[in-house]
Amino acid sequence: MSGLALPTASSSASIPKAGSSSQANGNGQILRDDERLEGEGEVLKRAPAKAISSVPEITSVQGLVPTLQNIVATVNLECRLDLKTIALHARNAEYNPKRFAAVVMRIRDPKTTALIFASGKMVVTGAKSEDDSRLASRKYARIIQKLGFDARFAEFKIQNIVGSCDVKFPIRLEGLAFSHGAFSSYEPELFPGLIYRMMKPKVVLLIFVSGKIVLTGAKVREEIYMAFNQIYSVLVEFRKEA
Amino acid sequence: MSSGQSYYEFYRGSSIGTALTDALDELITQGDIPPQLAMRVLQQFDKSLTECLQKGVKNKTTVKGHLATYRLCDDVWTFVIKDPQFKMEGAGIAAETVTAPKIKIVACKSGDAPEGKKSGAKSNDFN
Repeated sequence: MSGLALPTASSSASIPKAGSSSQANGNGQILRDDERLEGEGEVLKRAPAKAISSVPEITSVQGLVPTLQNIVATVNLECRLDLKTIALHARNAEYNPKRFAAVVMRIRDPKTTALIFASGKMVVTGAKSEDDSRLASRKYARIIQKLGFDARFAEFKIQNIVGSCDVKFPIRLEGLAFSHGAFSSYEPELFPGLIYRMMKPKVVLLIFVSGKIVLTGAKVREEIYMAFNQIYSVLVEFRKEA
Repeated sequence: MSSGQSYYEFYRGSSIGTALTDALDELITQGDIPPQLAMRVLQQFDKSLTECLQKGVKNKTTVKGHLATYRLCDDVWTFVIKDPQFKMEGAGIAAETVTAPKIKIVACKSGDAPEGKKSGAKSNDFN
């Protein structure tokens, strides 16, 4: 079982590090947030270039790095939208005002879903990276613009990041819940996982007996990595010896 | 209730519908029937075909293909399917497969069907 555990030094050496480039990139993006989307080429071409520059610093324990599974972001298009026009003319759109007051639109690349509201506010979900989330949001904004609305691309903000990881050993959830009572909620009759509300970073973790972990509530990916590194040392303590 | 109910007119675009429309047109131009009668016939056609498809058809058809685009607006689903394969099977018919490069399916809520159940699909060949 412990055959998977590698010396930390050697395993982390294989993980690429890009220093603080993500920080710098993040600042650069903020300056561009209020720009108009001019040509389509600009929207579609510029973003991939950013993808290369923003490999964040990855810290790993035992060679394990959480995988990002979902990113939720919001954008303000800063113009009122007629949702029926959008639903009628855009592809892959659903609009059923009796059920939900937004157009649900999907694109294939990056594979995401957008909720578009009449106020001009938009929620983009499903992206697997920050760059994909931003690129997808711009593509949706461009689609709205092409339908004749004066859409801008303002206040882009990542609201939530979800990651997951497998520590590959079983965990004694009762023991963990008992000794970390202030942070843990474990009620197997309600939900099979232990809910761990970490304070710093402010991240919620779902920990399962199988050793699979879901991390959510982060605003930046570093919080996911930090939370995982912190929980890992705790989980080792509560490893279930089969 | 059934007399006052209105029916979808989209079956007029099917091959049997266009054949009927053409025939009625011819009769009108020849002066055999008044246009009002033709309208009445088409209304009856809308009703009969809807009822026939609802009650009379026992065959089963499945469609498989790549969903290129979809849309839901005003309770109408629109699907554009690339490389669809229709598998038809039913009483008295040998299993048959029909293919096309691209089709569009328009599905409307059917009037007297139970809430939420969609029927009344129309498919167009775009080749």
